[in-house]
Amino acid sequence: MNEFRATIAIVRRHIDRRFAIDWAMEFGIVAAIAYAFTLTFAHPLFPLAIASVLAAASAAERAHAETLRRVTFFAMPLYGRQLARAHAIAPALLALAIPLGYTLGAFARTHVFPAQLFAAMLCSALVATLVALSATFRDGARAWLYVVLASFAGPLVALPFVLLGTHGLALTYALGLITAFFALRAFGETLARYDPLPAL
Amino acid sequence: MKILRVADASFARDGVDLIAPFSLALDAGDATEVGQPTALAASIAARICAAIVRPTHGTVYVGEYETRLQPPQAKRMVGFVDASGFAGDVHALRCEVAFRSDVWNLDKAAAQARATQLLEQIGDGPYARGIVLALVADVALVVLDQPAKSFVKKVRRLVPEAAVLATLVAGAASAPREPALAAAR
Repeated sequence: MNEFRATIAIVRRHIDRRFAIDWAMEFGIVAAIAYAFTLTFAHPLFPLAIASVLAAASAAERAHAETLRRVTFFAMPLYGRQLARAHAIAPALLALAIPLGYTLGAFARTHVFPAQLFAAMLCSALVATLVALSATFRDGARAWLYVVLASFAGPLVALPFVLLGTHGLALTYALGLITAFFALRAFGETLARYDPLPAL
Repeated sequence: MKILRVADASFARDGVDLIAPFSLALDAGDATEVGQPTALAASIAARICAAIVRPTHGTVYVGEYETRLQPPQAKRMVGFVDASGFAGDVHALRCEVAFRSDVWNLDKAAAQARATQLLEQIGDGPYARGIVLALVADVALVVLDQPAKSFVKKVRRLVPEAAVLATLVAGAASAPREPALAAAR
């Protein structure tokens, strides 16, 4: 088994025309929000919260969940953790649209956007995405709980940056790395335990 | 060595038994049918035997691999055909074959050639395409979820050395589950 080849195949399967449309839409919506509100809500917590909520909602979206639940993926000779890594790459790329869109919108309005804030937003969006992925294999209240958890996890890991400014960025990334690692492990466990029953 | 050993496998969800315990054993070249009272139960039984769903109770071995402990090794030996087959057209089928050859680490050109050859032998239709996809890799066990009877015979002819397990809805063995299957017959 060539895990790298399998991973690339799964990532390529996720990155289709719909993915490109979603990416562009997310980028545009966030850029519009940033353009409209960047002067009103200047505190860094605002873009971090936006990044987390949107990333969580996007990763846990139902159509995305249905795609991941296809029996094809579970018939493949891969461990849950291998499948989790492969499934996480496309949502992580989608999450990139959020800090990029916000940077563009805010820059268009104020002609200035700190690179450190972009870095913190990127970290928040990725953490929220990875935490929210576990919602895709859950339904109802449990799925929502993961979305809420992801929405809070993003700004929480960025708290050192919010409180300490640039000096807190390294700590933010350290926290983000730890949270992302455990979130990905949890997603792998979820995948390994999931039984894809037929929808009849 | 047995290709498939199922010992008192059952499946329950939220305390409700979805399939009753069943047992069977298959050698290479054997074929058998597993009857279940409903289409849902038949699909679950097929997925249990294909190492896709873990049984709540009992054990399933594909070759020497226990499906709960070593699912990737077990899945590598299994070709699974879902009840709905493969709904895509010929182009989608070629894309799917390419995808599977990446995941199963097969030679892509050889996999496409094998798929074309299999399709010529088995005929077209959603279920036939599903079988083609299942047989792209070299498998020791073919699990067919609610196939038409003719497909079991065709699969046995195509891979005589493999064990073949087909699930069916008991009492409705001759009734096709979907119009597409009827057309494929």
